[in-house]
Amino acid sequence: MATHNVESEVTGSVWKVQVDVGDSVAEGDVILILESMKMEIPVESPADGTVAELRVQPEEAVQEDQVVAVIES
Amino acid sequence: MSWAEEVEELKRRRKLAKQQGGPEGIAKQHGYGRMTIRERIDTLLDKGSFQEQGKATAVPDYDDDDNFLGFVPANYVLGFGRIDDRRVVVGGEDFTLKGGSPNAAGLRKSIYAEHLAIQYKIPLVRMLEGGGGSVKSSGKRGGSSGGDSVFSEPRFKVIADAMGEVPVVSMAGGAVAGFPAGRMAASHFSVMSADTAQILVAGPKVVERALGVDMTKDELGGAQIHAKSGVVDNVAANETEALMQSRRFLSYLPSSVYQRTPRYPCDDSSERMENDLLDVVPRDSRSVFNMREVIEMIVDLDSFFEMSKDFGRSQIVGLARIDGQPVGILANNNRVYAGAMTAEAAQKYRRFVELCDTFHIPVVNFIDQPGFMIGPEAEKKGTIRYGMAAVAAAAQATIPWCAIQVHKGFGVATAAHYAPNAYVLAWPSVESGALPLEGGVAVAFHREIEAADDPVAKRTEIEERLRAARSPFPRAESFGVHELIDPRETRPTLCQWIDWIQPQLDELKGPVKFSMRP
Repeated sequence: MATHNVESEVTGSVWKVQVDVGDSVAEGDVILILESMKMEIPVESPADGTVAELRVQPEEAVQEDQVVAVIES
Repeated sequence: MSWAEEVEELKRRRKLAKQQGGPEGIAKQHGYGRMTIRERIDTLLDKGSFQEQGKATAVPDYDDDDNFLGFVPANYVLGFGRIDDRRVVVGGEDFTLKGGSPNAAGLRKSIYAEHLAIQYKIPLVRMLEGGGGSVKSSGKRGGSSGGDSVFSEPRFKVIADAMGEVPVVSMAGGAVAGFPAGRMAASHFSVMSADTAQILVAGPKVVERALGVDMTKDELGGAQIHAKSGVVDNVAANETEALMQSRRFLSYLPSSVYQRTPRYPCDDSSERMENDLLDVVPRDSRSVFNMREVIEMIVDLDSFFEMSKDFGRSQIVGLARIDGQPVGILANNNRVYAGAMTAEAAQKYRRFVELCDTFHIPVVNFIDQPGFMIGPEAEKKGTIRYGMAAVAAAAQATIPWCAIQVHKGFGVATAAHYAPNAYVLAWPSVESGALPLEGGVAVAFHREIEAADDPVAKRTEIEERLRAARSPFPRAESFGVHELIDPRETRPTLCQWIDWIQPQLDELKGPVKFSMRP
């Protein structure tokens, strides 16, 4: 089993979380949406698999390169 | 008396040089999963095109007690060759000999490689591996001569000069530290092999001694570090791919600044119009879109070669072809900070514009610029200085330049997207001004808004009035842009422009001068 970190490319705040722990996702599926520089930035799954961890909640601030979720495949 | 004896000795020495570090040294290199320098050269060049220089260079070897041991081949292999039938100079350290650390003849050859490229006006491809100088050699015979004389030319001058004369490509196949790491950085294009290469100012042992930090060479300078540091332009999966990327990069460039950019036959129709371009930019300006897809839909099929993807990610740079003409592509990536110009993006932008300017490569710029990056981190990083250097590079560029106003164009950063005499196209989705409406109205009209009976209604009214003025049509009516176009017409329009600029490209030759920039 491989684990894949889902990282935020930007500093911003979490607007919506689109999945729950245990959901299956495909590569490119939107895990959550961040708000940064007045835009809605989707953070996508890097691989097919299952959401193993969600490390952030709505309105939480995130930093560039922060791991926001973990996918297991 | 014939010279048969010397000729026999010469043959023996040439054979010796090709043996590199001997079967043992070669097996060790292969054991690490790495190619030898001669294998790298054969992979890079057109088959059978290598013409070696200094085939019999070697140095006498002594043991620690100064006993003569025999001759050791110079650990730098150098020569001419061809890539896509165009001549290049190639060179690289032979890591099977003393870890690529230069002996006297090896160092001389490595410096001569740069001179050769400048003299013959052809690209230089360095295949780097090694740690540069060693304290061992400085304590030995030949290394203790006191160094170069005060009046000799610094050996770094030619490295700096080459970048203004010929395309310089560096490929890292193994660990590259010290002087070779400096060469890696001093390139127009650098690429490292993810599974075998590291780039380090100094390796783990030196770092441990100086800083007490215990790290592997991969942790210090592996691909995951340098894709983001900007030290290398690209990361390749392995050495072969790194060499193929080196070939590909050169295909977009002239052989030197004295030649015009090449142009190739093109199978992709100049009239091709992609329907998806009509709705690629969302009407809601908070939503993102994929700028890379926009580029791919417009340039010649499969011709886009992106560089430095993971450094300064809000800005996209790369080479492509339009109707067979190599062009430099600049584009904002709205998925990262809305495409804002960060300090890193500005450095990437300026360097790329300087690359295009140096080699007279026309630029096509897809603009979706919300401005310089703002906030505490951006201020600490000195964004405005790097940003203004990017603006200066564009403002002083001498190349044909097409600016396509795709979406946003706000603030001073937008000035970086226009060179003098740019050909300016606009899509109907364009929005521009000093500040985006949402923030700008609240600041500029705060007195009027506060004085109104219904401040919210007043703000909305002003926003609506200004939004109406933001219609794309006035800029076409006033000749504020050359053409307002259907996004689907972008490729045909660019192909036409490429035809217009051919006489300019024929004339634009020779070295370009830059003055000090902010």
